[in-house]
Amino acid sequence: MTLAGIAWRNLQARPSRSALTLIGIALSVAAVVALTALAWGFEASWQRAAEVRGTDAVVTRTASQNALPSPFDARVADTVRTLPQVYEVAGLLSELMSVDDAPPMFVFGWQADSFLWRHLKLISGRFPIENGHAEVALGRLAADMLGKHVGATVYIDAEPFALVGIFDSPALVETGAALMTLTQMQRITDHLNRVNLINVRLNDASDETTLTQFRAAVAQALPGYLAITSGDLVQQNVMVRLARAMSWAVTVLAVLIGGAGVFNTMLMSVFERTREIAILLAVGWRRDRVIRMILLESLVLGLAGGVIGVVLGSLAVEVLLWSDMIRGRIDAQITAGLVWYALGVALALGLVGGVYPAVRASGLKPASALHAE
Amino acid sequence: MMGQTPRIEAQGLTRSYDGGRIAALRGLDLSIAAGEFIAIVGPSGCGKSTLLAMLGALEAPQTGTLSFDGEPFPPPHRASAFRAEHIGFVFQSFHLLPTLSAAENVEVPMFESTRSSRQRRERARMLLHLVGLDHRSNDRPSMLSGGERQRVAIARALANQPTLLLADEPTGSLDSVNAARVMQLFEQLHAELGTTLVVVTHAAEVAGHAQRVVRMQDGRIITEVEHAA
Ligand SMILES: Nc1ncnc2c1ncn2[C@@H]1O[C@H](COP(=O)(O)OP(=O)(O)O)[C@@H](O)[C@H]1O
Ligand SMILES: [Mg+2]
Repeated sequence: MTLAGIAWRNLQARPSRSALTLIGIALSVAAVVALTALAWGFEASWQRAAEVRGTDAVVTRTASQNALPSPFDARVADTVRTLPQVYEVAGLLSELMSVDDAPPMFVFGWQADSFLWRHLKLISGRFPIENGHAEVALGRLAADMLGKHVGATVYIDAEPFALVGIFDSPALVETGAALMTLTQMQRITDHLNRVNLINVRLNDASDETTLTQFRAAVAQALPGYLAITSGDLVQQNVMVRLARAMSWAVTVLAVLIGGAGVFNTMLMSVFERTREIAILLAVGWRRDRVIRMILLESLVLGLAGGVIGVVLGSLAVEVLLWSDMIRGRIDAQITAGLVWYALGVALALGLVGGVYPAVRASGLKPASALHAE
Repeated sequence: MMGQTPRIEAQGLTRSYDGGRIAALRGLDLSIAAGEFIAIVGPSGCGKSTLLAMLGALEAPQTGTLSFDGEPFPPPHRASAFRAEHIGFVFQSFHLLPTLSAAENVEVPMFESTRSSRQRRERARMLLHLVGLDHRSNDRPSMLSGGERQRVAIARALANQPTLLLADEPTGSLDSVNAARVMQLFEQLHAELGTTLVVVTHAAEVAGHAQRVVRMQDGRIITEVEHAA
């Protein structure tokens, strides 16, 4: 018999209460898993999109704090192109728009013939070109969700577009998006000659000083504009920050709610076992061993609830990923890091809930084992 | 016996409850020799359990002194270590842990020893054999008779080889047959292991097993009778 074994037996001795507590913990942890998977996935999806485009840096408006940077004069791109560190430049305009009757979808307008297109793989048809016609290509998932094939008409903000191609991309957010040329995008969004992001490839991206010099050059040549890495752009993105904040809030709530459940269960259990704990102290157990026993019970509750919660949360993510709202927009994955994070949350709530009952139990008077039979 | 340091020397012990309204012990003196078997008798409420709690370092007297083999009793923060090392307790209502088997109950005090879990298990089997319960070692207390439970409790009390075994009305919840069996076991342990034994009891026939009977009333000792060993 080990201390953990005793703790386990004590939990088993009150099966329905332990089960109820487990359910509470499991739901809290499941919420953490689901929301954090989405938040981290959201961030990772955009990070990945920046990577596959081969972008080393982006130029955007300094004050831009919107979900998508606000549009600015496209001639800024011409200035950026003249800077000595720059190899290639591509302006783009992107927005969330209604496409047919599906939930809002990302629509990208990319400068024709720019490097942005290079990583895409055509599945059928061709890419939109600058020919004055309203043409669009759909990512694989987007085409799938809309049930459209090449030759069909797609309504973007109620305007008809000819679907000329379907493509695949290593970045999930792109497979769930619609893509047209920058000029078409500028036309339908009423942002003539404007872009909201300039993607830049540098001459020597592996060299940190090139990036530093580029930043300084942009700051000098273009007051009010800022050059940052696409990674930083994602970090600064309001939606990414919001998603992170929500995942944090749910984590804190889970620790509080799950911890309160453990607290209540363990405190009741300690009260019921007053005599039993007094006996342990009477037969020579040190107070810290009693503390360890109660904490072990709390941690086992937390961990068991956490394991169930990870399973439930993963199932919830699977379901969410198939909902139209999220499919093709967020690449949520249950990573090993997320599982550890969730189990950490579960242990934390066990600890938070168990400390006071444990200290309380260790303070019981051993002499009460003898009195008041 | 003369000239030897007593195992326990208690002088002027007092203890009151309810802010002094109930005086459980009123200046009690008692000396217990090593290897002695003492019975403490007296009416209900006269302070027997309170005295036993002090002898076992479960609580400290309000005034008075206690020594063990000539050394003062430990301060409160050392009391549990002292209990684990020197004291074995047997209670009237057995007080076994209901979720653990007989053998596991016997292991419980050994958590405070340096024994490995395997050594704990083996010693628990040995002690259950000693009290004649080999065959019940895997049973939970709820499956045992009162007499069997008390014998498990006695095995548990012996777990850390105590120098002093304290029993509070150990036969109080047993029928006469089982009571006799438990007392026989105490006598046997006293004879074979030389453990110092203090048994609180109501029953005259139980007290008859002891070498010395101490009679208490109102928190004091009123008579002491030595039996010829
Ligand atoms: N925890 C306590 N609180 C208040 N009074 C107590 C407590 N423990 C014992 N007493 C009182 O102290 C007196 C002695 O009790 P106790 O030592 O249990 O007697 P005995 O074991 O001889 O029956 C009794 O009057 C009892 O009611
Ligand atoms: Mg009593």
